[in-house]
Formats: sequence, structure tokens, C-alpha cells
Amino acid sequence: MQEQKAIISWKVAGIALGVLLTIATALVKPLGVSTQFVVSDAAVVHQVAPAFAEANAYLAKYGEKESWGVGYGWMLVIGMLAGGGITARIFRKAQPDADKGSMPEMWVGVFGSSRVKRFATAFFGGVLLLFGARLAGGCTSGHMISGISQLAVSSFIFGIFTFGAAIVMAHILYRKRG
Amino acid sequence: MTLFIGFFIGCAFGAILFLGGASSYRRIMGTLLLKDMWIIKLMMTAIGVGTLGVYLLDFGGLANLSIKPVYIGGVAIGGVIFGIGWAVSGYCPGTCVVGSAEGKGDAIFTLIGGLVGVMIFALAFPYLESALIEPLNFGKVTLESLLGISGIYIAIPFSALLLFMAFFVLKDRYE
Repeated sequence: MQEQKAIISWKVAGIALGVLLTIATALVKPLGVSTQFVVSDAAVVHQVAPAFAEANAYLAKYGEKESWGVGYGWMLVIGMLAGGGITARIFRKAQPDADKGSMPEMWVGVFGSSRVKRFATAFFGGVLLLFGARLAGGCTSGHMISGISQLAVSSFIFGIFTFGAAIVMAHILYRKRG
Repeated sequence: MTLFIGFFIGCAFGAILFLGGASSYRRIMGTLLLKDMWIIKLMMTAIGVGTLGVYLLDFGGLANLSIKPVYIGGVAIGGVIFGIGWAVSGYCPGTCVVGSAEGKGDAIFTLIGGLVGVMIFALAFPYLESALIEPLNFGKVTLESLLGISGIYIAIPFSALLLFMAFFVLKDRYE
């Protein structure tokens, strides 16, 4: 199953991503995703429960009532949905089968074919992911790719702890397969 | 104007992640199980090119840097929680957005979980701020400010090292 490549190689994707980061840094600011989860939440809470949003020290900083906090970063994530979605439709046939669908083959091999189990796990993982990202101040794009490219000490620390924990956890999950 | 730039950069970002297979569960887990080096090579190449690009811009006074502050407790513990979530879901915040756009159900649930995770964080923020974010906070430190030499002289050898590792050193080990 590992023989199947992606549509473009890691070299092309990596170089393109580095160039894109450079362009973004020249025009506006580096790439980042996880903050926009806060902007999205805050925008909704400011509409639904404005008193609660303003009383909360964290939500009060994001998703302003007037502008909804929709700025460069939020448009970037909307762009990711559009760009990812459109290329996914165009290149569906070229995408390796092993990369398709909601039930990855290696997951099914160890944890079975229950969709509820896979989706519940993904949900729980998502909770940890964004809780951790907000505590640390960024995610893979903002901290690791953009942060390390700016030689930020914080991002090196994040990278070491993230990869360390993720590698250990992955081995615990897939220990049966060795 | 900035909004349009953001949108187009986002489109390119999403397209690159999809085309390069970064939104693929088997690739991400293969990397974390240290069998498939695809994602790590992709990231090293991106950071290698990015570091050089960013510090060339900075050398010309054209970079809009955004340095994250160092607060050791929050960054380290946040990193560990993030890492566990990464292995559990198989996505990171950016790739779950792209995976959701592809229509992958597990990516969509990761995205929804993320929105819930942020709410939990917002509720816990006053406690976390005093315990993990304010203490040991050294502000926006970079290797440039730490070593006291111009960033470009760090960026060139660092980029060269990353690209060398990605292109010549790291090898997949499936069998």
C-alpha cells in the first residue's frame, strides 16, 4: 500500500509551500490556521451570547461584534477549504485509493470498521488538538512551518514536544502491529 | 485587498496540502510510526525553503514577521496535548480543514472537535493563563536575538541542513 505516491511529490509540495510562506510573509504575514478556530467560535458566541463572550477573557479578544473578526487569517482558512475542495474534485481520479475516504485502511485493520468509533476518536482527537494548539499558541502551520522558518525558539520547543508526544501515542495506538 | 490575498494564499495552501498527500491518514500515521518519511520530508523542505525565503526578505527589510512568544510551560504542555491529538485523529488543524473539503468524515469530526476544544480552552483560560502562560514567559525570542547575529547567517546553514536531510538522509523503511 505504501507504493502509491501522492499526486505531486513531497519535493514539489515542500518547495511550493516554502515559496508560498515567503510570499505570505512578504505580502501580509506568515501562515497559520488554529487561531481561526477561535475566531470562528468567538464570532458565533458574540452573536448568540454576547454577554458571555465579553466576560470571557479569551473570547473577548477575538471575533469582534462589528467585523466578526473576519480578517486575513480567516479568509486564508476559507481559501484552504476552497482550494482543497476544488483540487480534490478535479484530481479525484489521480488521488491514490489509499488516501481516499473516511475509513483509512490501516485504522480498519486494527480498530475495525465501525464508523462511530472512528468518528468519535477523530472528534476526541480534534478537541485535544485545538486545546493544545491554543495553549501553545499555534499549530503545525503557524508554529512548526511558519514559526521554525522564522527561527522562533518557541516553535522549536513546540516542534520537539509535539513530535515526541505524537510518535509515542502513534506507537501506543498501533502497538499490535509493531 | 488583504482579504483577497488571504483567500488566494489559502487556496494555494489547501491545494498543495491535498496534492502533496498531506491530508492523508496513512501518510501522517506512517510518519508518526517512523516508517513513511513523506510528510517529514515535505515539512523539512517547506521549512528549509521558507527559512531561506523569510530571512532573505528580512535581510532586505521586507518581511512581516510574526514571532510567537516563549512561555515554556504552556508551549511544552500544549505541544504534548497537541501531539496526542494529532496521533489520535490523524489530522492537524490545517489538514483537517483540507480533509473536510475533500469530504472525509473523520476530518469533519476532527474539525468539529477542534471547535469544541477551543471552547473548553476559552473556559479554562483564566486558570491556564496564570499557571502556564504568564510564568516563564520570555517574550518573542528567535535564534537571531538569542545568538546576536543577523538571521540570514543562521538561516543559510539551517536551510542547507534541512534540505540535505530531506533529500539525501531520510529514507523510508517499509519492509
